[in-house]
Amino acid sequence: MLHLTNSQRETIWGYLFIAPQTIGFILLIVLPLITIFVFSTEERNLLTGVVVPVGFENFRTIFQEDILFRKVLLNTLTLTLGLVPLNIGLALFLASLLSQKLRGITIFRVLFFSPVVTSAVAWAIVWRFMLQGEQGTVNQVLQLIGVEGPNWLRRPEWAMLSVIVTLVIKNVGLNTIILLSALTNLPSEYREAAHVDGATRWQVFRKITLPLLAPTLLFVTVITVIGSLKVFDHIMLMTAGGPSNSTMVLVYYIYYQAFQFFETGYASALAVILFVIALVLTLGQWLLRGRAYDD
Amino acid sequence: MSKTKLFSLILALSLIVMSAVGVSAQDPVSLRFTVWVGPGAAMDMLNGIAADYTEANPNVTVSFDTLTFSEYTSQLVLQLAGSNPPDGGWILENTAPQFVESGVITDLTPTLMAYPDYNFDDLEEAALGLWRDGDALYGLPFSTSPFLIIYNTDAFEAAGLEDPNALAARGEWTWEALATAAKAITDSTDLYGFENADGTVYAEGFWSTIFPIARAYGGGAWDAEGTCLMNSPETVSAVQLYHDMVFADGSAVPPGEAATFAGGQAAMRIGQISRVAQLDGATFGWDIAPMPSGPAGSGSVIGQAALAVFRNSPNADVALDFLAFMTNATNSETMSQFFPPARASVLSSDTFLNSNTRLSAEQMQLVVDGIASGTVLPSSPNYSQINLQTRALFDELWIPVADIQGVMNTACETIAPLLAN
Amino acid sequence: MTSMAMELAAVDSRRRRTRLEARIKKAASYMLLILLAVPFVFPFWWMVSSAFKQPSEIFTFPPTLLPSSFSLQNFIDVFNYQPFAQQYLNSLVIASLVTVGTLLISSLAGYGFARIKFPGKTVFFLMLLSALMLPSEVTIIPNFFFMKSLNLTNTHVPLVILPIFGAQGVIGTFMIRQFFLSLPREIEEAALLDGASRWGLFWHIALPIARPVLGGLSILSFLYSWNLFLEPLVFIDDVNMYTLPLALRNYNDVYGAPLWHLQLAATTLAVVPVLIVYVIGQRQIIDSFASSGVKG
Repeated sequence: MLHLTNSQRETIWGYLFIAPQTIGFILLIVLPLITIFVFSTEERNLLTGVVVPVGFENFRTIFQEDILFRKVLLNTLTLTLGLVPLNIGLALFLASLLSQKLRGITIFRVLFFSPVVTSAVAWAIVWRFMLQGEQGTVNQVLQLIGVEGPNWLRRPEWAMLSVIVTLVIKNVGLNTIILLSALTNLPSEYREAAHVDGATRWQVFRKITLPLLAPTLLFVTVITVIGSLKVFDHIMLMTAGGPSNSTMVLVYYIYYQAFQFFETGYASALAVILFVIALVLTLGQWLLRGRAYDD
Repeated sequence: MSKTKLFSLILALSLIVMSAVGVSAQDPVSLRFTVWVGPGAAMDMLNGIAADYTEANPNVTVSFDTLTFSEYTSQLVLQLAGSNPPDGGWILENTAPQFVESGVITDLTPTLMAYPDYNFDDLEEAALGLWRDGDALYGLPFSTSPFLIIYNTDAFEAAGLEDPNALAARGEWTWEALATAAKAITDSTDLYGFENADGTVYAEGFWSTIFPIARAYGGGAWDAEGTCLMNSPETVSAVQLYHDMVFADGSAVPPGEAATFAGGQAAMRIGQISRVAQLDGATFGWDIAPMPSGPAGSGSVIGQAALAVFRNSPNADVALDFLAFMTNATNSETMSQFFPPARASVLSSDTFLNSNTRLSAEQMQLVVDGIASGTVLPSSPNYSQINLQTRALFDELWIPVADIQGVMNTACETIAPLLAN
Repeated sequence: MTSMAMELAAVDSRRRRTRLEARIKKAASYMLLILLAVPFVFPFWWMVSSAFKQPSEIFTFPPTLLPSSFSLQNFIDVFNYQPFAQQYLNSLVIASLVTVGTLLISSLAGYGFARIKFPGKTVFFLMLLSALMLPSEVTIIPNFFFMKSLNLTNTHVPLVILPIFGAQGVIGTFMIRQFFLSLPREIEEAALLDGASRWGLFWHIALPIARPVLGGLSILSFLYSWNLFLEPLVFIDDVNMYTLPLALRNYNDVYGAPLWHLQLAATTLAVVPVLIVYVIGQRQIIDSFASSGVKG
């Protein structure tokens, strides 16, 4: 038996405790991440198994020739810009409704949160069912009040909106709960004082509640933005990227290139771009946060 | 310390156990073929042939895995790239060049030439064209099945329309006549007049419905030299005809609707004889008619599907032997009720005309005629890419006011580089 | 009337008015909540009620809120169409393994990061955290080739190990680390003086205390695995190896058009048990979701 000092022994224990996770992480996350950079410089056909090194050719094609890629970026941006404000706005509104002291309010909390625990596949299947053309439930309900709804998922101008709304209803519960818990933990003195001073509800909300919620809002915004980059299940199941590629977003395009066109090298180059976007967003959030805490 | 070790050990062990459970044991020989036919009469027939083979070769069992048609090629390739590749499978005509060029499928000629009583020369050389590369043959087209119109005789009677076969006999069964009949049925009954091929025209099966019309008008998709024909006036008028049926007449099942012929919600459909099995227990009378003609004559089109053996199969030899067994003269005859083979002797036999319990010899004669005059659906080594690019464009066709010529022009521009390769 | 009395009456009526106002406000809040709840609840209702309908009734107009006759046929056909029971079992087994694995690996690492001093701790921790921003779509392609080289595609192994060591596992480590950081060290230190080893401390003292956070983590891990879609889609080919999300979308006719009556019945079978568990344990489930992120 070796003679170890206490702190040496601690060090060994520390490494032993984190070893399983760290090793798995290196094998299944870090190495693949490095590999993706290697793959991105190759032409790799999944069907033929042929691998040809092509340098930066994939990136050149993506940025200079791939017309679809521009559309994909624009779609991804549309999804994010549509989803995030809608999600956060609704979450804030629901959280403030749910923060009232009303009898049975828990029931509503449970209801608004229930889609969060439901599988995305199930949710997308049911909404695809309800958003069909003339036979779809949504349009049948609209027809009862005399409105003729479009074929939501098969019209380029409606498909993305339909996916966004479906996603918001699916996920808004999580942000609602996070904001609700922040809201109930706010010190109530300021608000009461303002009420006494004769401020309206809206003024109190804007001038006092909102600034106090800012850190939580920032956090919620960041997870929602990053989440919006990862939307795959709903796209695959509701629109498969169509119609007219109007819902072809980056993650789905990666999947498509890799597993429908079998161009895994090209798909890897796209994945590198996705990685860079996520990285920039995360770093940006860190900087923003640093400033939020300084204030 | 020891407990940490124990945990890693448990983890490692459980991984090993799981992988052992996951990888199926290769006891004697079990072959797996991928197909796109679902449970039903045709699948029963395939299993019957497999059972016969097992009887003759007790150490071999054969199973058929159904993959969804709309994702068939992508799922198949994923399986081929994975660690549990199938031994063989069906391949669609439109991806034939892609697979033939890929080098993942095996040349069949040595096995088929040597197989006892196979009678290789009985195969119609014209039908093998897509699957040939020089003298090698990479897929055996077990099904060379012409498209036909299947129609609901009750609906035709209710609308007071003349029988399509009677029109065809006089040479008046044209696409315009079909459109007129579809509209009359839509106006006078609560059925749609027409269902496109398997409901796929708005997605991956665009050509199955449009190509026959385009052929009848003298157009097409692209030719063997890689010239795009989609924006030709002939093809555009074919698309216009179908577009009018959907949006002007309301007589064809529109995008996103689930009305089917088999369900009694549409009075006509494009289909092959394998689809007739769906009509068992139908509550309406039905019959089949040839494809309508057009200004350029008959629009007869053949859908092909071939059997192939994958090079990476560890049991490629056995799989090849099974393929030969499955497509020999006897089994071709068995399969012919669903899948008309490219075998001259079978097609010209009375046995073939009487092979299908659901169809009369007269009706089967339509199949024989269709094979004789039919063109195969468009195909290309870049079919997957072409399909994605054009599918997105074709989505713009399915709105009430569509710029068909414009969409088809864009389609030709977009796929020009893909066709050129 | 004296001015005094008038003033009293005015106060009284104002009080009455504010009480009335409060009541109206309350009623308005309820109305608003009910209205807003419709798109959250109706899909579930519609899924279940359609699942009981005959295929022909699913698309009738006007839509019927309840099936005209409750038919169980769809639920029977769900099992005839593909090995749904086996697929259900696959999902249960995989989700359980993911849960156990995550609890084990994450509590080890979470405890290590919170309680033990060793060089490089911050670096390792930040490295793990960076996984949270990495979409799994980025690494799926190399992981496919990696698993293939180990002969592990079309097995359940990748579906078990990827969540444990991926972002979900990191969230677990993070939750457990936060939990221990918020806990006073005294109890453990006392035990340490009594000569317990690090392992003994972790296993006999820390883990039992951490039960609430472990409970929350198991819910999150289980649901994460239960709902996983992309990984099974890429790694699994064989219908008998499918997990629930793959099975649900597989109720199509051969040409890919959905067989809605079966798809909805199968979805009901997959979703309703989760919802029941959720309603029973709603407080803890919602809290564990909230705590997985709040302090991030």
